Amino acid sequence: MTQKPLELILARNLMSALSTPAFLVDEGGVLVFYNEAAGTLLGRRFEELGTVGPDEWGSMFGPFDASGAPIPYDDLPLVQAVRNGRPAHAEFAIRSTDGVSHSVEVSAFPILTVHGSQGAIAVFWPKQAHSNGAGPA
Amino acid sequence: MRIKLWGTRGSIPAPGPETIRYGGNTSCIGVTLSDGSLLALDAGSGIRSLGLALGEEPARLHILLTHLHLDHIQGLAFFAPAFLPQTEIVIWGPASPEAALRDRIARYISAPLSPVEVRELPCDVSFRHCPETDWEIGPARIRAASVSHRGPTLGFRIDDGDSSLTYIPDHEPALGADLGRLEEDWISGFSLARDTSLLIHDGQYSDAEYPKHVGWGHSALRDSLTFAHRTGAERTILFHHDPLHSDDFLDGLGAEARRDWAALGGKEGAIELGAERGEYELPVRAPSPIATV
Ligand SMILES: [Zn+2]
Ligand SMILES: [Zn+2]
Repeated sequence: MTQKPLELILARNLMSALSTPAFLVDEGGVLVFYNEAAGTLLGRRFEELGTVGPDEWGSMFGPFDASGAPIPYDDLPLVQAVRNGRPAHAEFAIRSTDGVSHSVEVSAFPILTVHGSQGAIAVFWPKQAHSNGAGPA
Repeated sequence: MRIKLWGTRGSIPAPGPETIRYGGNTSCIGVTLSDGSLLALDAGSGIRSLGLALGEEPARLHILLTHLHLDHIQGLAFFAPAFLPQTEIVIWGPASPEAALRDRIARYISAPLSPVEVRELPCDVSFRHCPETDWEIGPARIRAASVSHRGPTLGFRIDDGDSSLTYIPDHEPALGADLGRLEEDWISGFSLARDTSLLIHDGQYSDAEYPKHVGWGHSALRDSLTFAHRTGAERTILFHHDPLHSDDFLDGLGAEARRDWAALGGKEGAIELGAERGEYELPVRAPSPIATV
């Protein structure tokens, strides 16, 4: 068992309390958590999925651009945030497990500490209403 | 490893007839390693008495600071060995993006808060940021890890031979989390305390008091117990007592702790409330020799 850095623990605790869909990756780009609101958006709870390695999670739910072309993993805001240590923002669509597409805006920012980067958080802002109304109106 | 509680109080010293048994001095634990090396865990007002007990013999000691809240450093300027030129002190503490450890401590040990400045201390004192990886002091392996409190705060684990001491005085691992159900690797401080011989942990609030103090960086009794139980600590001392808690109140809290510990399935006698000057000895067993046939 490797203990998660405190900053990831605190990020997860905060994200668990948010109704805004949010993803958390560690410094290696492994998807280590997403919250219930993200689970609702994607149609699958994190507890069912568990941690997902880099490269894998990027393609699980799309994402694709306005023309329907898949967005390369390297271009995802979360990947850019964790790699470059800088915030990143993008608009694209994701596909939930029931096949429905959701347009989202995504803001990602790195988690930087005195010991360097510990990972990154991405917050999703759905651009169209969906079943439970999660996310800002 | 010998351990002595020199300060068991949290927040502010609380001397007086109503706190005489559990003690009024703030956080400080003296640790003597198996080779005689001396450590002080935190430098609350309790370190003053530890310093007096050391006398005037030349001493080399390490002070490990979990964080720089006043109740963990306020004894530094009254630590008698620091005023002896023959003393060598290494002060370890958390790194901060804001300023070096020495500069942050100097904010307290400087005018107008203090009559002396750090540079005026006659002892040989050095300041070191706790590394991210384990390091050694004498025969012991030391590990520091950030834990859930307010501001950069560490917990420590000291392994000496087969025994280990885990010290997490200010800790709120249940903030925004369900400690009973959370996976182990997501619990603040878990790896520090896992299967430790002796856990000295935050026990600031009763369950009834906690709701008014959520986010203050300290634990409710039930959360301290759950943490101790889940980590598999062999024995646990709850301390960093709230300054409002009288001896009588703490007697009651101790009884509640033993009852709730038993309800969790914890081993009898493995939970107690720390009292000032309390002493503990952890056996340092050598690795068992290979049997010859
Ligand atoms: Zn404290
Ligand atoms: Zn504190």
